[in-house]
Amino acid sequence: MNKPKNKAAVVKVKSDIEKSVLDFLKKGMDNEIFDAVLIPMKVPAGDSFAYVLIKDKSLLKDASYLPPVMPVQGANAVSSITRLGKGKMKIAAVMRPCETRATVELTKLGQTDLENIILISMDCPGVLPLSDFVNDSKKGMKLFNESIKKEEDKEMRPVCQICDKSSMIAGDLHIGTLGAKKDTFFVISNSDKGDEILSKLKISKNEDLDSWLSKVKNISEEKLKKRKNAHKILKSQVGGLDNLLDTFSQCINCHNCMRVCPVCYCRLCYFDSDKVKHPSDDYLMRAEKTGSLRCPSDITLFQMGRMMHMSLSCVSCGMCEDACPMDIPVAQIFSMVADETQDLFDYVSGRDIEEPLPFVSYKEKELEEMEDAA
Amino acid sequence: MERKIGVYICECGPNISEKIDIDKVIDAVSKLDGVSVAKRYKLLCSEEGKKYLLDEIKKQGLTHLVVSACSPRDHEKTFMEICEKAGINPYLFQMANIREHCAWITENKDDATKKAIRMTKAAIRRVRYHSSLEKKEIEGNPDVLVIGGGIAGIETCLQLANSNRKIYLVEKTSSLGGLINNFEKTYPNMVPGSDIIKQRIEDIKKNENIQVFTDSEVEEIIGFLGNFEVKLKKVSEENVPVEFNVGAVVLATGSSVFDPEKTPQYGYKKLDNVITSLEFEEMNKSGKISLANGEKPKTVAIIHCVGREKVGYCSDICCMYSLKFVRYLQDKIPNIKVFNFYSDLCIPGKTYQKFYEQTIEKNVDLIRSTDINIEKKANKISVIYKDENKNKKTLSVDMVILSPAVIPNSDTNKLAEITSISQGDGGFFAEEHEKLGPVSTTTEGIYIVGSAQGPKDISSTIIQAEAATGKILTSLIPGKKIEPEIKVSHISESLCIGCKTCLSVCSYGAITFDETKKVSVVNEVICRGCGNCVAACPSGAASIKHFTFDQLYQELVEAVQ
Amino acid sequence: MTKAIVINKTADQGLTEVLKFLLENDRVKGVFTLKKINKEGDVSYSLITNADDLKDSVPFYPLMPVNAAKILSRFTLKGPSDVPIVAVLKPCELRAFIELVKREQGSLENLFFISSTCAGVFPLEMGKERLIEKNLSKYFEKIKKLEILDDLRPVCRSCEEFVPYNADMTVKLIGENIDKKSIIFLNTKKAEKLVEGIKLDVSEKDLDKKTLDNFKSKRAEEKKKIFADIDKKTNGIDGLIDLFGRCIGCHACREACPICYCKLCEFDSSDCEYKPSNYEIELRKRGGLRVPPGTVYYHLGRLDHVTISCVGCGSCEDVCPVDIPLSAIFKKVGESVQKMFDYIPGRDPKEDLPITTFEKEELTEFEE
Repeated sequence: MNKPKNKAAVVKVKSDIEKSVLDFLKKGMDNEIFDAVLIPMKVPAGDSFAYVLIKDKSLLKDASYLPPVMPVQGANAVSSITRLGKGKMKIAAVMRPCETRATVELTKLGQTDLENIILISMDCPGVLPLSDFVNDSKKGMKLFNESIKKEEDKEMRPVCQICDKSSMIAGDLHIGTLGAKKDTFFVISNSDKGDEILSKLKISKNEDLDSWLSKVKNISEEKLKKRKNAHKILKSQVGGLDNLLDTFSQCINCHNCMRVCPVCYCRLCYFDSDKVKHPSDDYLMRAEKTGSLRCPSDITLFQMGRMMHMSLSCVSCGMCEDACPMDIPVAQIFSMVADETQDLFDYVSGRDIEEPLPFVSYKEKELEEMEDAA
Repeated sequence: MERKIGVYICECGPNISEKIDIDKVIDAVSKLDGVSVAKRYKLLCSEEGKKYLLDEIKKQGLTHLVVSACSPRDHEKTFMEICEKAGINPYLFQMANIREHCAWITENKDDATKKAIRMTKAAIRRVRYHSSLEKKEIEGNPDVLVIGGGIAGIETCLQLANSNRKIYLVEKTSSLGGLINNFEKTYPNMVPGSDIIKQRIEDIKKNENIQVFTDSEVEEIIGFLGNFEVKLKKVSEENVPVEFNVGAVVLATGSSVFDPEKTPQYGYKKLDNVITSLEFEEMNKSGKISLANGEKPKTVAIIHCVGREKVGYCSDICCMYSLKFVRYLQDKIPNIKVFNFYSDLCIPGKTYQKFYEQTIEKNVDLIRSTDINIEKKANKISVIYKDENKNKKTLSVDMVILSPAVIPNSDTNKLAEITSISQGDGGFFAEEHEKLGPVSTTTEGIYIVGSAQGPKDISSTIIQAEAATGKILTSLIPGKKIEPEIKVSHISESLCIGCKTCLSVCSYGAITFDETKKVSVVNEVICRGCGNCVAACPSGAASIKHFTFDQLYQELVEAVQ
Repeated sequence: MTKAIVINKTADQGLTEVLKFLLENDRVKGVFTLKKINKEGDVSYSLITNADDLKDSVPFYPLMPVNAAKILSRFTLKGPSDVPIVAVLKPCELRAFIELVKREQGSLENLFFISSTCAGVFPLEMGKERLIEKNLSKYFEKIKKLEILDDLRPVCRSCEEFVPYNADMTVKLIGENIDKKSIIFLNTKKAEKLVEGIKLDVSEKDLDKKTLDNFKSKRAEEKKKIFADIDKKTNGIDGLIDLFGRCIGCHACREACPICYCKLCEFDSSDCEYKPSNYEIELRKRGGLRVPPGTVYYHLGRLDHVTISCVGCGSCEDVCPVDIPLSAIFKKVGESVQKMFDYIPGRDPKEDLPITTFEKEELTEFEE
């Protein structure tokens, strides 16, 4: 992966981008370049979307390459298919950049096998919060489409609004709609697999990518400014023990955030295990120290513990915040901390599949600034 | 089954009884859940004391034992043996150190008593969560793997050969002998190098107990003293691995020389007639010492300490062999004038002084110098230097021989990783202790001999070979059983989700991955119980026997409350 | 007639006085109850050991942040409490705890229970939005008039088991002016001993059966409506697919459910992981497969595992990120299953779980 890009293929849009992308995928199946496609589809009741592994091409027409919501993180879908091995089918998995990045991280953690998977991403405008969509899907769809047209993002997940990596390419192919000439879109290859597909489809990649590159750069820089600003404000609201306890005061320890997070891969979370279950006299002893003990207890332990375990691979997708029943801004907090922890190691989650996880790499000289802390 | 914990507090003569109110401790713990008896005794480690404990365990029908006394380093084993004799699994025992950690360091008796109560309670809390653990015994393998077929490896093989074990000698080139083969003569006796080595190689070939693998390299070594699994690969043929088991490994991979191209001021590879010591040995062995144009040199400069500043140590042998070179030159070219440029002269030991004095009798100039630069001047070579008084001087010679620093062999990094031993100063294999452990390493069962451990001459190498032999002969007795570590890691199959983080942090190669079940599995015989995997596993699927989360938590919660 | 303490204070304040007495006189070492935990007035369960901390307690706050049975189960999971503890719970929470005790997930030893004739709770969302304070007077009004407030959890509006079983003390909420008066029934000898010496009026009183029956029938009416609605939606497998289509498989419902006690849920274990060959076979059969699979299967599985003990608390629905009407589904199936065995979860700690009993003649209607 990660080939230098300044040339790309250009595909003409026939009726609308959605249909043309599906056509592209259908062509891939027709030419037996891949055997199946993993792509979101509307559920029968029409009130949400779900990832569907499609082998029957006729089902493709009901698929959506850019759904308005992210009910399941795409990395979890890929992991569910390939955790136990690669299978015989070649599968093209279509998902947003943060989902592709999370898939790359999960691969480093042995939870997916990408050998027969082709990862296809696209320029992402963000997603709507789930609860806003499911109760009135018609309204939700309208809101989403209008937001894209007006190039606005105030309806999207809070972390989407400050995402500077919405066009980051971590997979094999990327659908570039930004900066493309009218009625066209770019198909950008990022790997040998991607190159192979384009050549098998007889689509040559010799168009200049400059317009996409510059539009993406502009958007990314603007978003980065917004992001840094938002993080500054958030830090003042959440920083320090008192503020932290306040922020999580409504947390009911349901662990939803952990379960929908693509990076949280443990079969039994440490904070669900026996290790946080203590005899009654322990709880009593703790209560006696301050006069009372909030129950369920160890909520801060869970939040900070989870943060410690997954921060280096966090892709700021925002699933956690969508799933929180108490509307705690967990995604914003975790993603802010992740920026800093990853920065410490010069690491960007999902950027490069060959890049080892900082947690398991040893460098003799590292974090020397901490050595003087004593 | 009902738990019956017996708590015994040792007076340890006056050591504990005078500093701690033992009766108060007994009062504080006797009513705790599971404690069926709490008593005191004068001296539990005495013969009477041991008998007393044995009787008590049987009489009271105890299932667990807690002893508050001295340091476990003193008597943990003693009390564990008593448990075993009395019929309780020795791991259902916990000791609280209320002597070194309490009585001996706390002035105030009240404070000491409070602390002793807390420590005893903590031990009781912990022991409730102990599980029975069984000793394991495996056959110790007495055989030895020697890596490196130079004088160090050869000597080690021969010393070990007739002691009821098999020796495997692995050499990466096609012939045995190593560097000594190249030396026409060795100092100080000026005996041919081949003499030293030829007979020994013959002896090796004749010995049935020694199996020699030439053109071979070690790929993998996993295990510990008495139980190493070795994988070899033939350098030429990719797909023919050889596997066997040994009980000890000797690294005798030798050294090479510093590359003077890294110190361009010496003109190496830039000027003709500037050669290294190894190149000179080769030239000398061929019988003819000559310049590039075929003529005999009339003046030769030998530069000592090449690269010494860069490597940061003295290479022990170069001054002596540089003097030996003087003799080579004088033998083959009478009336040759030799100049030895040195920064310090290193001539230790009882025989070397005489060699030095005899060598410098005539036609040799020893020049103490710094800041040497070698340049071309017409068809000669100019040695520009600063003398003892910091005056810049120049000397014109026909040939320059560089004596570069001795550095570790290129294989050293790979072998250090394979055997999990450290590399020390200069990148040589690190010995366990500079003074007290010169041939053993931090990995039990792996020994280092010869210049692989640091620059040294032949006699020091032989000394090390004999030392390593001694250690192996005493620790690897054929027939002796090895007891591998009991407190090892265990990974729950149902909780492991196969992220392999534990694998990345295991320094002993004790964890493998089951591709079918997609879970990590611990090899209990190789595991050393270090706990890295437990710390690394985010979900807690890995745990160490006898140091489980519950055991540690229970002890801590009491100790720090 | 039962002995009862009468206090001319709000129900919250009245009970708090009794709790204070219990702590100050060492009758109990700790009190489990709802308490305000910050200046914004957010409410959470707490284990209170210092009588002073009771000043923030609000035992009958109409919110269930977590089903208290889970908290009591955690407290007594590793062994019974060594010391006397009193817990203030809603009737469904108490029933759920007893169901957990039957499964060795908790212990009744040394625990005293205080419950109430329960008027229901508001959904978690209202707690999150901090709208409960301003709705409190409306809540009290409806309780006094024996009316059902629309804003409450659907399962609360339709709950017929609002009189607690196995409580040592019951506080009268329904039909009472709990804004002004608090009546605490001492149901057991244990309860009487606990409050021995308390300087408060004790008189003989009765929970008016007629009033309670009247209220029960109102609740039954609500239930009919809610169940009819669910019936329509869950018609056959297609109905289930429609209903659970938006499920994201977060399993929050399982975490919130007091009855779900497994260390590692079967649906998270390797038992429910599919090899690539499984996917390939399914794809050949169907042409398309939702991934991760088993959306409806998980809910059917959970219905199978928990409904015999489902107490209809409604925690599952409150934590669902996509607002699936889970509580009504589980309550409906729960009551049907329980009816088959004449079983009311939590009614009697000595009553065995139907799945662990064998009757020679049973469910004969299915033999045809």
